Amino acid sequence: MSTTPLELETQLIERTIKQRNELLTRAGESAEKILKAAEEEVERIGAESERQILSLVGSELRAVRDRIVGGAELEGRKMMMLSRQELLSKVFDAARERLAEVAEGKDKSSDYEDILVKLIIETVTAIGGEEFIVSANEKDLAYLKKNLKKVNEQVSDALGEGDLKLDDEPIDVIGGVVIRNSDGTKTFHNTLEGRLVNVRSRIEAQVGKTLGVI
Amino acid sequence: MGLESVLSIGERLQRLLTEADREAEVKVAEAQRRAEEMLSKARVDAERRRTMAQRGYGIEELLNEAEEKAKAEAKKSMKDYKAKAEALKEVTEEKIAEAVTLVLQEVLPR
Repeated sequence: MSTTPLELETQLIERTIKQRNELLTRAGESAEKILKAAEEEVERIGAESERQILSLVGSELRAVRDRIVGGAELEGRKMMMLSRQELLSKVFDAARERLAEVAEGKDKSSDYEDILVKLIIETVTAIGGEEFIVSANEKDLAYLKKNLKKVNEQVSDALGEGDLKLDDEPIDVIGGVVIRNSDGTKTFHNTLEGRLVNVRSRIEAQVGKTLGVI
Repeated sequence: MGLESVLSIGERLQRLLTEADREAEVKVAEAQRRAEEMLSKARVDAERRRTMAQRGYGIEELLNEAEEKAKAEAKKSMKDYKAKAEALKEVTEEKIAEAVTLVLQEVLPR
């Protein structure tokens, strides 16, 4: 079966239109590729420019951040420190109250008279010498007056020597003693509140750990 | 319709292809022109901003941006610290009693 001229013409038109469409499609794709590459390059130039600018003004930007964030960090740490101190004060205030109970004989788990003698022995050991003048609060002075002979014996047993005399004037402390040597050249404060202050400065971190806040 | 007619159509179709070819070239050339224009503008703009930054001009926006960012960071930091500070207040009475006992052991002579 032979091809008629009309069929030939139709085929030729169809082929040509297909070619034309392909040509334009390819051109469209190329154009799109060119523009996409350009957009990417524009983005790269912009980013590079930002990087250069940031490097030029970086120190100023860091200064802004340090001022604002650094200030907040400082304030936050201060807030934490105050809260921690508040909690530690709560513990040491409670300890002071317990010490007062011990000194008043209200704490059945402690023998305050024994504690008082130990404090005296510790103090005279630190001062050295033979004669000592003991100051204490009213209640402790009364106890010591009443039991001076026995306490002197306990001191002598511990140190080999020692002669305690009592200062008649009571001092305002919750417990413990202030002892001076006979010529008044050495004085040692061994009161419960004084010891509490010393302990606080020494074991505050350990207390913080016990509380789980450090 | 004879062979002459087909030939005449062939010429017209060839013209169509030639025009399409030209149209494609124009399309690609236009894309190239636009691409070069975009790149040129980006380069000029980048250079202008860099020069301005070098002279200390036009960085207010960056500084403002840095300030806003830092403020947000500071706010978050403060919020975290506040939460931690609040958590400190939630220490149990048992822990406090344990700490008090530790203090008494250290204060009282052994």
